Amino acid sequence: MKFGLKRRIAAVSIIAAGALVLAGCSSSVNDSADSASGASECGSWAIAMHAWNGYTASGQVVAEIAKANGCTITQTTLEEAGVTYDAMEAGSIDVVIEDWGGGRWKEWVDRGAIVEVGDNGNVGLIGMYVPPWMAAKYPDILDSANLNKYADMFKTSDSGDKGAWYEGPPGYTTIGEKMISANKLNFKAISTGSEAALVDVLTKAEANKTPALAYFYTPGTLFIKIAGLEQSRVKFPANDWSDAAKASGLTDYPETALKKLASKKLMDSNSVFATIVKNFNWTNADQNSVSADIESGMKPEEAAQKWIDANPDKVKAWIGS
Amino acid sequence: MVEEQRSASASSASAGRPPAVSVRGLWKVYGPNPLSIVGSPDATLSRSELRAKTGCTAAVSDVSFDVAPGEVFVVMGLSGSGKSTLIRCLTRLVEPTAGEVFLDGEDISKATPQRLRELRRQHFSMVFQHFGLLPHRKVIDNIAYPLEINGMKKAERHARANEVIELVGLHGYSHAFPEQLSGGMQQRVGLARALAVDPQVLFLDEPFSALDPLIRRDMQQEVIRLHRELGKTMVFITHDLSEAVKVGDRIAIMRDGAVVQIGTPEELVALPIDDYVANFVRDIAKSHVLTLKYLARPAQSDEDMDGPELAANMIIRDAAEIILQTHKPVRVSENGKFLGIVSSEDVLRLISGVA
Amino acid sequence: MTHLKKSHLLIGVGLVWITLSRIFQGNQTLELATSENTSFTSSVGDAAASIRGNRTKSAAFIYFFNPIRAAITGFVEIIRSIISVPSGNSIIPVIGWFGVVAIVAFTVYATSRLRTAILAVSLLLACGALGMWQFTMDTLAMTLASVLLSLLVGIPVGIWAGRSDRVLKILTPFLDLAQILPTLVYLAPLALFFLIGTASATIATMVYSIPIAIRITAHAIRNLNQSPIEAALSMGSTPTQTLTKVQLPMAKQMIILGINQTVMAALSFVVIAALIGAPGLGKPVVDALIIRNVGQGFVAGFAVVFVAILLDRSTSAAAKAQESFIPLTSQQIRRGRIKVGLSGLLAIASIFASRSVLSLAVWPGSINISQQVEDVTNHATKWITTNLYIFTVGFKDFISNWVLNPLETLLAFSPWFVTLSAIVFIAAVIGGMRVAMLATGLLTLIVLSGLWHEAMITLTQTIVATLLTMAIGITLGIWVGRSSSAEKVLRPFLDAGQTLPAFVYLIPMLGLFGPTRFTAIATGIVYSIPVVVKIVSEGIRSVPIAMIEAATVAGSTVRQIITKVQLPAAKRSILLATNQGMIFVLAVVVIGGFVGSGGLGYLVILGGSKPEMQGKGLVAGFAILLLGVTIDRIAQASARRT
Ligand SMILES: Nc1ncnc2c1ncn2[C@@H]1O[C@H](COP(=O)(O)OP(=O)(O)OP(=O)(O)O)[C@@H](O)[C@H]1O
Ligand SMILES: [Mg+2]
Repeated sequence: MKFGLKRRIAAVSIIAAGALVLAGCSSSVNDSADSASGASECGSWAIAMHAWNGYTASGQVVAEIAKANGCTITQTTLEEAGVTYDAMEAGSIDVVIEDWGGGRWKEWVDRGAIVEVGDNGNVGLIGMYVPPWMAAKYPDILDSANLNKYADMFKTSDSGDKGAWYEGPPGYTTIGEKMISANKLNFKAISTGSEAALVDVLTKAEANKTPALAYFYTPGTLFIKIAGLEQSRVKFPANDWSDAAKASGLTDYPETALKKLASKKLMDSNSVFATIVKNFNWTNADQNSVSADIESGMKPEEAAQKWIDANPDKVKAWIGS
Repeated sequence: MVEEQRSASASSASAGRPPAVSVRGLWKVYGPNPLSIVGSPDATLSRSELRAKTGCTAAVSDVSFDVAPGEVFVVMGLSGSGKSTLIRCLTRLVEPTAGEVFLDGEDISKATPQRLRELRRQHFSMVFQHFGLLPHRKVIDNIAYPLEINGMKKAERHARANEVIELVGLHGYSHAFPEQLSGGMQQRVGLARALAVDPQVLFLDEPFSALDPLIRRDMQQEVIRLHRELGKTMVFITHDLSEAVKVGDRIAIMRDGAVVQIGTPEELVALPIDDYVANFVRDIAKSHVLTLKYLARPAQSDEDMDGPELAANMIIRDAAEIILQTHKPVRVSENGKFLGIVSSEDVLRLISGVA
Repeated sequence: MTHLKKSHLLIGVGLVWITLSRIFQGNQTLELATSENTSFTSSVGDAAASIRGNRTKSAAFIYFFNPIRAAITGFVEIIRSIISVPSGNSIIPVIGWFGVVAIVAFTVYATSRLRTAILAVSLLLACGALGMWQFTMDTLAMTLASVLLSLLVGIPVGIWAGRSDRVLKILTPFLDLAQILPTLVYLAPLALFFLIGTASATIATMVYSIPIAIRITAHAIRNLNQSPIEAALSMGSTPTQTLTKVQLPMAKQMIILGINQTVMAALSFVVIAALIGAPGLGKPVVDALIIRNVGQGFVAGFAVVFVAILLDRSTSAAAKAQESFIPLTSQQIRRGRIKVGLSGLLAIASIFASRSVLSLAVWPGSINISQQVEDVTNHATKWITTNLYIFTVGFKDFISNWVLNPLETLLAFSPWFVTLSAIVFIAAVIGGMRVAMLATGLLTLIVLSGLWHEAMITLTQTIVATLLTMAIGITLGIWVGRSSSAEKVLRPFLDAGQTLPAFVYLIPMLGLFGPTRFTAIATGIVYSIPVVVKIVSEGIRSVPIAMIEAATVAGSTVRQIITKVQLPAAKRSILLATNQGMIFVLAVVVIGGFVGSGGLGYLVILGGSKPEMQGKGLVAGFAILLLGVTIDRIAQASARRT
């Protein structure tokens, strides 16, 4: 069926306009739902959701607590650091619940876009790991000085005639290339793009008993999944740096207190969400218990709720009531 | 080259008024740097030589002629000889490279865009070889288009459009779309559209080429009526010699962009300037164009001199019956002056083409 | 230059190149550690930092960028609040899901026909059933907003370019460049000025789709049958009258096709723009890529595919409805009007319902098959990766060891001047002197940017992917070009393939090949095959029948006809297809930076994440652009010379 386009466009737009007008005046379900919930007290806010499973646990717990207290929360998956900071400056993100990047947000803080809210209680430690079967079979591989001895074993079609050194994703704190060159290692850094890829590398290596050397970090549940992984960290000389940009590459990664960041807008508000974010603080064990549940197939919402139900005192303290 | 004196001598009608259309030294050259050709020695080259030398095509080269008010001026020529380009230059749909075009004494090449639009809206209209109908409009709205852009109200312009629809015999098709019509019907829509604004001058580019013989004859009659009764001036392009003879007061023959000869049909048939023109007019039934003047000859001693007297400007075809019936040669005289005699053998010889 | 000489010269260049590469292996490769900056990249970084620093201070931001950002964000948010996010104080959008379905059904029905409307509704419901309702609505809202804004700019400019040669001439280089520029490159510079969020995403999408709208509109105006236009002029139409009463109505169908193309471009970009904060289906896709959940990626990917088909079918059906100017009989028109009127009333009633019944307002959570789809996909992926490990990894390793690595050694690990000269020589042989000079200039700029080594890594992947693409694409193209039944079978896939955002293809490839260079290459191949097959098959089909008949009569075998008649005659199409294929592949290979392909794409992504690397990221984006132009010019010139 067809008749003049003009008429049809006219018909479509008249009906659409009519519908909008009617929709505007008619009473609807949401008005009633609205007055009951009291959403206006907390407001609507956005949490950045970074893509490692520890972050998912922390972000989800904070989101669930906030929702239970009348906040409208949007969870937005975003790359870490610069992208997220810009989003905070643009007003589309309000909270980063776990940032590893020792001060790289300074510029945004100076501009008044971001407020540092302090530690979240987790302590992060990055390192280079081999699958536990290797640690058992070649105990001396855990000393970085011996890595070159085994370099040939790590060759892949992507690393050519050097060993493959699986490096962390772009937004993470990584100094792999520096470590390789400073320690004169016969390895080639291969970018992986995501935590999931690193998980994949180590899991497959352990399962198939193939060699692999990969970037990883605590807190994280991979250490629960792969027994003995925590002990399979290759040790470099003791850490002597905190700013990755100034690291020599000779020494290992530092232990880092993980930070919370929030938008100025949130911190200036009297929202209960600001209080929750300010007070949120938990241990690596707390986070691991939630991530382990997610890892084992629970939905993040359920896993977070389970922890909240099991820890009413901590939650109460965060809400500040 | 152009025969200036011919065209001048031929414009017989309505002396005193300026020509309806007057063309002087008109050029249209396509290609790189066209202006440099006009007036240079290259201008005398033939079209193919010019093309080989400069890469330019002279679609119209150095054309001059006058069309008297109320005259039907026919342009003929082989395909590619520049007829369509010429007629487009007259209305400035194509900007001439050089030369002047006067419409009713007004130099159209100097007209501002507004003035040009005014002229196009009120003074003249065109019928196109390829019809140029608007595919998204019904027949009636196609015909009403020139009225519409003139700001005429819908009811009024539709009434006028319906009149011309009747005129061209498209009754019942006013709500059809061009692509639903046959070529001939589309051509008549184009004609009706040109007539809708009732212009003084009509430019017709092969207006009847797609018509069947019957409708074509009707349309030719319509053109003749417009010409005779309403005194419209027309520049009429056609490939059909008999049509040219039928509707045209004078005919211009073009070759390779230039006008070879201009004259009445009789002049062309009687005195073709070269083989090209002679070839062109060869197929005309001479008896249809020539007058008795052409056949008149001195009487031979044994011939009767007491046959009836006929006027010299009588077409031979029309005189033939009388001549063949009288069994005597007729006497031909012009303004009382005796020119000679014409016998029935003379007429038969001409009709059978032996002459 | 004769054919024989050309190939001899190329072989010569190759041999010299390989020899020099062996001798100087690893010297002067301009390798730069990922975390290192050159003085140039760090000064670009400083410039970027100072731009960032001025966001709250400088007049350009206060009076220009920030208001634009606010206005566009506001515009998008209005559309989102109508169909996607809670509006005002309420907990649901102005129009609930049922209302949206009704509106889509009505609009498609009114502009094309019932069958298309049913298809559209089913696709929309499928998105809902995949648990992607709100993401889908966000994507629709973003696409709608960007398309409206793009057309607002693109159609008038296109009309202008259609009517003025000068305007077209000025615009052409930009339009050409826009066709080469990989999507990833747009994001970072825009984010610098418009930050991260819907505004940046919308503007980036506009920048991507406006050239398409301009190009097609100008083309539509220019390629009209000129005789009605001339007739209109002869009757004294003003330019405006000619435009509105003649040109635009005549160009209508083509312009609607242009809208179709603009919509598809906008959709594919909106998905990628999730990287700079665009709401919508891109988010779960990116999410899935980051957490490597192939199943989740498939769920979101299916939704993207459904939205793509929905938008493509409904807009092209609307264009098809414009094919003829002839309307139906007045009775049919009346009946049509009654139908449209009734369905309109039904739509309004549905909108009402969607505002007063909660289950019609919010997509019922119980209707959700995402988990099942996810599980099935993950199982399938797992089965493939464990059981077909030999094939997938074997194939990957084979290509990596025997093609990728040697070529990478040659391109990226020869001294830079050796590689540069070799490329310039090749350009000279196949494209001529002028292109060789252009290539010298462009490649020198890449050297100066400091990212030569990375650029060569990206180029290597692009070349390998293109070679494989052409091998598959030409074979399929010949098949499709020679057999109309093959064409019937493949055409829907080719059409669908061309409308999908490149991002979506990354997901299954990531599942098969893991985070490696090869994932990017495989994605590039899959993404660019449709366009290559299309161009090649058209070339094959355009070989005159008479030529083939003559060859057949002369006793040629099928193989001889293909190799001796059809392929040589279709050579130009094949070269053009190679060009298109390379440009498509390049766009995907750089996105592969996400899944471990390294090279320039990785630097662009790194620049987005790490503030101290932003300069390097921006320069990498520029280097991608230079690489794209170099490839395009050389390929174009070689196609022109045949
Ligand atoms: N726009 C143009 N550009 C270049 N050459 C042109 C152009 N228009 C016409 N010509 C050339 O001018 C010459 C005359 O063309 P024109 O259309 O005037 O011929 P015509 O006498 O009307 O032919 P026909 O009887 O076939 O309609 C032709 O050689 C044609 O190639
Ligand atoms: Mg013509």
